[in-house]
Amino acid sequence: MIKFERFQLENGLRVLFHKDETTPMSVVNTLYDVGARDESEDKTGFAHLFEHLMFGGSVNIPEFDTPLQMAGGENNAFTSNDITNYYNVLPVNNIETALWLESDRMLSLAFTPKSLEVQRSVVIEEFRQRYLNQPYGDVWLQLRPLAYKEHPYKWATIGKELEPIENATMEDVKAFFKKHYNPSNAILCVAGNLELENVKELVEKWYGSIPAGTKYERNLPKEPIQRELRELTIERNVPNNAFYYAFKMPDRLHPDFFTIDLLSDALGRDKSARLYVTLKKEQQLVADISAYILGSLDEGLLVISGKLNEGITFKQFDNALWALIDELSANKLSDSELDRIMIKFRTAKEFQEQGLLQRAMNLCNYELLGDPDGVNSESEKYHQITTDDILRCAKNILTKSNCSILNIKADKNAK
Amino acid sequence: MLNRTIEPALKEIDHIDFVAPKKYTVSGRTDLYHMKEVPNETSRFELYFDAGKAKGIDSIAGFVNGLLLSGTPDKNSIEINSQINALGGFLESGISVESATISIYCLKENLIPILTIILDAIQNVAFIEKEVNEFLADRKVGHNVSLEKVGFLAQREFQERLFGSNEIYSKALKPSDFETVSIEKLKEFHSENYLNGLEKVVIVGDLNESEIHSIIEATKPFANTKELSFAKDLSNERGSFAVSKEGALQCAVRIGRILFNKNHEDYLDFLILNTIFGDYFGSRLMSNIREDKGYTYGIGTMVAELNHTGYFMIATEVGKDVLKPTLKEVKYELNRLQTELVGEDELQLVRNYMLGQLLKSADGPYAMTDLFLSVEVHGKGLEFYNLALSKIQNITAERIQELANKYLNWEDMSIVTAG
Repeated sequence: MIKFERFQLENGLRVLFHKDETTPMSVVNTLYDVGARDESEDKTGFAHLFEHLMFGGSVNIPEFDTPLQMAGGENNAFTSNDITNYYNVLPVNNIETALWLESDRMLSLAFTPKSLEVQRSVVIEEFRQRYLNQPYGDVWLQLRPLAYKEHPYKWATIGKELEPIENATMEDVKAFFKKHYNPSNAILCVAGNLELENVKELVEKWYGSIPAGTKYERNLPKEPIQRELRELTIERNVPNNAFYYAFKMPDRLHPDFFTIDLLSDALGRDKSARLYVTLKKEQQLVADISAYILGSLDEGLLVISGKLNEGITFKQFDNALWALIDELSANKLSDSELDRIMIKFRTAKEFQEQGLLQRAMNLCNYELLGDPDGVNSESEKYHQITTDDILRCAKNILTKSNCSILNIKADKNAK
Repeated sequence: MLNRTIEPALKEIDHIDFVAPKKYTVSGRTDLYHMKEVPNETSRFELYFDAGKAKGIDSIAGFVNGLLLSGTPDKNSIEINSQINALGGFLESGISVESATISIYCLKENLIPILTIILDAIQNVAFIEKEVNEFLADRKVGHNVSLEKVGFLAQREFQERLFGSNEIYSKALKPSDFETVSIEKLKEFHSENYLNGLEKVVIVGDLNESEIHSIIEATKPFANTKELSFAKDLSNERGSFAVSKEGALQCAVRIGRILFNKNHEDYLDFLILNTIFGDYFGSRLMSNIREDKGYTYGIGTMVAELNHTGYFMIATEVGKDVLKPTLKEVKYELNRLQTELVGEDELQLVRNYMLGQLLKSADGPYAMTDLFLSVEVHGKGLEFYNLALSKIQNITAERIQELANKYLNWEDMSIVTAG
């Protein structure tokens, strides 16, 4: 149970407070309701580039990191296709420093040309290091546009390619800030050994005078229903043949979302899951295999991925995988199989909720979904799921016409 | 009207509560540490074996560690994994040059049942041929992927140069290891280093005294009866070493030298120098090479420890075209630390940052246990962290400069690039 208090400022900023008396540390977490899905198609990679610029100084404070480190704290941020999240972890005695810093960059950035130039280079190196200079690194650059034709999930957070980052201008950057970075588009969570009155006072002091801005109304193109199997084979200089099967699944608020999460666990969470036991241990087709969901807010993906053993063809594997899926879509899981999945779920959740930062981020995520208390009812929803529910979802989701397959063929002469 | 240019007043950290786990003797030198103060249902246990990489040749230690749960005469690996998974256990195994570990994260009610399964699996592992062959094939796949990464290539070369004076410490996995390994060699290593090789048991979780005693009884037969023997006088091969990787867009860099561990009188002050140089976001290297020049996504330094010694390392991956300027800037920053005194503002920044991080690393039962273990392994107690507090509070610019001159000379380094 994660206890919290919620209040809202006049400018629209939604604030959550989570009290934890056991820790000398505190967290200030800020979720901005903007991700790569909010980019225009000719300026992909912008939400993430912007995340970097948020550390380049704000209107009244030349640099973000130094004062926070001076307060004994550290911080970081991440961008996904859905959101951009910034967090600070620091001794609770100095929590006001984090509120001072975060509120100033919500008010406005310094927008120095130097910061743009340097962060542009850093992001280009990040693109190279994580996506281009790693074996299998460009998978998501290939798989997303295969699975999505209209919805902006068709590009990765880092962007479709380097060009828009290379060409980003200061005007682009300022327009992005104005559109997405304001109190009505943000959720703040303060966590630590504090009192509600004190938190209210500090938040009002630092955030109260920030202009509300214009609320961004999201209006994304809807992804048409997929009606055919999509396949793409690319050649890369990688050691092993690799496969990615991506099945469309409903959005985060759909009642089947949690059920499909458990379906992915049954398929491929660990070494007792169907894919590993059947396709690896029994049939010896793959070197490794797993299944997972992306957890997207809009219509998402359940992915099965892995690498083929030497001498096994994509066709052999494909036949075996669909046979396994047919079985899973024809017969219910055994009760002991569901029990095993649920105990792992429960254990993972207990560990996850140990961390103060994780609790603060979860609260913000649920507030974004409409109800922060969802964080506490989530477990109960998982526990109500039956083997009948899982069977129904397997039948609906794990079909060829709902699937996009990316095969990566190992070729020493490929680029 | 709120003046946003004035920062809120800061409070200093002058005191941190350090809590030691309770110590029990398993047998002889083998101890069990128990951190009971966990406010929820989670628990963790770890088994430390004197079965690190340096205990054998041709990667045998890593292979045996990876095969510990591969099956006994009674149970195959699928059955072992199913039993652990049915109890909600998350398994991790790890190996370093000088130690091998098995860790499980689970709910406390399942800890002893899982431990029982694991101990049986380790005791009776049969090294079944089919399982061994599958394991080796998988390792090979993983290894082939690693060979495509410049970071891996640089790290491997660095280890060979860093431990160059010691035949066994410097050896990395090589393709022929997959061919020369045999069931007999695996069995021999297992019986020598696991059956009587348990060095330490660590439990975090709200278990009662009788549960702890049953764990002591269960682990007793594994207790290490042999003398420990770790390398003492290592020295690194100085100079530059380049590994070539065709088609790479980036170049990985590792620069470092053999140094010392917590038992050296300069250790704590050197940690402060290390932080200034490259161990936080505002460090000299990050400020210059990432935040000013944009050459890299990240650059950092670290101090790593072994039982009798330790080493210092700088690591980064940079665009191929900026490798030379990067090395030049690293050298420039080294030189600056040796010739210019660190300003009081920067020193204060690092003091406050390090105290905050120390507070964080003592926060919660899991972090606190790890903090304790990192002094225990060097024969020290938690008073070491009070000493650290006072060293951080009293560090001077002159002392930083002295240490930079003593330990951070470019010509003492092994400089490895891969790309």
